[in-house]
Amino acid sequence: MADNVNQQTPSNSVRIQPWSHDWQEIIARLFVMTLLIVVLAVPILKFLPKESLEVHSSQALTSGWDPDVIHAEVGQPLHLRFTSDDVVHGFGIGQMDFSPVEILPGEWTETTLLFDKPGIYTYYCTRWCGKDHWRMRGTLEVGETNPVSPPADLPLYLTLGLDLDAPHPSPVIPANKPSAATGSELLATASGFNEYLSKDYYRIHSPFEVYDGLRDTVYSDSERWSIVAAIWRSNTSSEKLAEGKGLFTENCAACHGKNGAGDGVFSDDLEAQGSPAMDDQHGIKKPASLNDPSSILGASPAILQGKITRGGMGTGMPMWGVIFTEDQIWNLVAYIYSFIFIY
Amino acid sequence: MTLTSINNHPLVNKLLTNRWPQFILQALLLAAFLFTILSGWIGTPVGSHNFGIVFLWITWWALLILVAVPFFGRGWCSICPIPLPGEWLQRGNLLGKKSEAGRSQVSKAIDGIGSSEAPSPQETIHRRWPRVFRNIWLQNGSFLLLGLFSPIILTSPQVTAVVLALMLVLAFATSIFFERRSFCRYLCPVSGFIGLYSQVSPLELRIRNKQDCVTCLGKPCYNGSTTGYGCPWGVFPAGLQKNTNCGLCLECVRVCPKNNISINLRSFATDLERPLTRMDEAYKSFIMLGSAMTYAAVLLGPWGALKLHSYAVFTPGWMVYAVAFLGLNLAILPGLMFSLMKLNPKGASPRASFTAFSTILIPLGLMFWLAFSLSFLASNVSYIGISLSDPLGWGWNLIGTAGLGWRPIGGFFIQPLQVLSLVGGLGWSTQLAIKMAKVQNVSPLPAIIFCLLTTLIMLWLIT
Amino acid sequence: MNPTNLRNFIASRTGKQLAWILIISSGLLIAFAPLPDFSRSAPQTHFIRIEANKFAYQPAQLHVNPGDIVTIELASTDVVHGLYLDSYDLAVQSDPGQTATLTFIADKTGSFRFRCNITCGALHPFMIGKFTVGVNQWLYRGWSLAILIVFGILASTHGWRRNNTFNIISIVQK
Repeated sequence: MADNVNQQTPSNSVRIQPWSHDWQEIIARLFVMTLLIVVLAVPILKFLPKESLEVHSSQALTSGWDPDVIHAEVGQPLHLRFTSDDVVHGFGIGQMDFSPVEILPGEWTETTLLFDKPGIYTYYCTRWCGKDHWRMRGTLEVGETNPVSPPADLPLYLTLGLDLDAPHPSPVIPANKPSAATGSELLATASGFNEYLSKDYYRIHSPFEVYDGLRDTVYSDSERWSIVAAIWRSNTSSEKLAEGKGLFTENCAACHGKNGAGDGVFSDDLEAQGSPAMDDQHGIKKPASLNDPSSILGASPAILQGKITRGGMGTGMPMWGVIFTEDQIWNLVAYIYSFIFIY
Repeated sequence: MTLTSINNHPLVNKLLTNRWPQFILQALLLAAFLFTILSGWIGTPVGSHNFGIVFLWITWWALLILVAVPFFGRGWCSICPIPLPGEWLQRGNLLGKKSEAGRSQVSKAIDGIGSSEAPSPQETIHRRWPRVFRNIWLQNGSFLLLGLFSPIILTSPQVTAVVLALMLVLAFATSIFFERRSFCRYLCPVSGFIGLYSQVSPLELRIRNKQDCVTCLGKPCYNGSTTGYGCPWGVFPAGLQKNTNCGLCLECVRVCPKNNISINLRSFATDLERPLTRMDEAYKSFIMLGSAMTYAAVLLGPWGALKLHSYAVFTPGWMVYAVAFLGLNLAILPGLMFSLMKLNPKGASPRASFTAFSTILIPLGLMFWLAFSLSFLASNVSYIGISLSDPLGWGWNLIGTAGLGWRPIGGFFIQPLQVLSLVGGLGWSTQLAIKMAKVQNVSPLPAIIFCLLTTLIMLWLIT
Repeated sequence: MNPTNLRNFIASRTGKQLAWILIISSGLLIAFAPLPDFSRSAPQTHFIRIEANKFAYQPAQLHVNPGDIVTIELASTDVVHGLYLDSYDLAVQSDPGQTATLTFIADKTGSFRFRCNITCGALHPFMIGKFTVGVNQWLYRGWSLAILIVFGILASTHGWRRNNTFNIISIVQK
């Protein structure tokens, strides 16, 4: 036993410093350790201070925007760097004249923002990234964090006290698509329509109400519808319709369909998903059809503006009020009527 | 046919026996390996912009299957970093051989044999690998396991990192409990097929003179000596007839006192003249063939549902895919070959013919993988430049190539190249089948029919 | 020439060389011969709507004749997808709700993969479809070459049974 201990002692003493005499081994160990330290130090670079704020984007049900609240100061440039962790996204700021930033997976895009007045802005994804794309929103707080919210003009539907969710079918539907051109010819030769042509009148009346109001005139049914179309057309312009079309294509067509038939690429998914995305109680199963004459002829521009501004309240329809400017929404409304009128 | 011994030249011999070149390569690769794991955690989750995915599954895989295996056999194993931490622990040393006190456990254990002194527990801790598992069935299993999840592993940096970390841990744990490189020899999912296909390579490690080995005292190439270690792969070089189990670690070249170990250039596929005799290796050749066909169908085919089911792991659809994948590799392909073997009215037993003719699937399978990988590489190669410049997807631009977009290469030439490799593989296998038939004294036609059928299917899958 | 003579001739050196010349030249012919003109009628115009969602095209396999004028309308139905056509080197991308079209003349014969060219998620690199113009030439060339090489090797083989000469002729005779 004692012999064993004696034998192990020298062996152990060598073991403590087995390579001290071997400079090659020391270099080898240093080499490996250096490599390990270099590799393991890489993550530290992630925590170095950066000039820009890094914003990650991913589909809404994964994590959406990260961060989803950004603070900025008035008059101080805000540097942002974007990347996507899954699919193509885009960064846009609601109600601001700002061309959206494309965000590609695994790549980075930079932008600098400068705000000249305090306020709360909404930033949102500008490229469809799934049926929950519109849930991808964040808040930009500029300046004072608890500002008294400026008394913005109330949307028309609130001042008028309209019930946006009530059905509004038109009792009468024209046999053919009313043509604005035919209507304008009739209007050119007639008088006494000035009241009808005004913006305020147009906005709070449905096409059916105008058509109905013309029932004591000399015009035939189809002529009356054409006059209505002409009135609607006179409240917009080619440029405004073009803007409306652009907004519709980018933001609405994925659900409501290119021609407004409610048959966009997500309509089947939304229908399959049912509640809570779509409002079962009101029998809403699919995105609304915007080329259905009955519901559109029965809807005043104020109702359509209200629906776009407020959104579907629990259905899949997003709230656009914080994204689009008032003008943009009116142009969108004007464009929607082009599905049922010939402009 | 041996053409030349490349380590006859003193300078080459010096380069190969010096531990530094190999050690530096291994250490750098270990760092790269750890970085690959790390990039799964800290890099972008977008696979095509993550170092882990781009360098493992595009760069490393293409180099392995298109260059390393066909030309250098187990050349990759010779520099693979995975077994290093365990081996360093076993040896208590990174480089060279410790002085007397630090001799390898193996040589100490050898010394202990015959002496009355019982070896201390520390010395017996490295057990021999259990006898029932001294085959490549576990490697067949580990490869199939990776294959089952490959659509996820190939595309997710996180999952790739987990798999790599598991391999590193498993290799390390194995080296604590078992002697030598038991992980490489019996567990590693990659080692199994590299070993199988290394028989094709024009590089081999063999002894020069058998008599020198017979008379050699102590057999340091197996048992180790004061200058080096015994074969980490547990192989006695004098018995080497095939490349399969030789890891080209060059340890025997270093310790052989008579400079009797030669690294030879030879004709391709010399080893294949000796047919396979083991069922585990025979099955490996079917698994590799079946996996190449499965990948070609799932990853390169136009069938979206197949891709989705293979990706949605543990769903009922995936279960069906898993059963089909395992069934193809373990039952359908071997079963087809076996029933074709039964067509032989006389001659060797179907089992013997089965294993022997599995040999011809080695060049065929290698060419299947070549055809698959060519297309995979051509469509994804442009990610390499992007990832080199921005390995973690953090927005770096180290060498200015981060902004290069995705662009496939090869255009019109990839398909003819793929067809050429598949048809070439078929011709190679056919010739080999005829050689096998002469040895087995049976008809090669059933095996040739098998090769022709699978090649026609593979041609359909990739064109 | 009776079968025995034929067999002897094939076994002879000249016969073997001739056989190989025959096999190699037919191989070259199969690999490189220009395709016969399959276009029976005037070029047609195709309008093909392809829906793209993770990670598949619908339809994923298209077939047109050489010279046809093809318009592909790509409609993404979940996220932004693209379509890149191999060899033709053409690309198009579509956002959901906004279709995009690509019009070209199918002037290259064969089967080509088309694949998504904008990262759309995990399996993006494997989002693949197949576009065939005329015949899938490399499939048929490949199949013919495969069969040719097997028969070529068998024909040039003396036999595989010990002490027994054998070649493809005797298989045919049986």
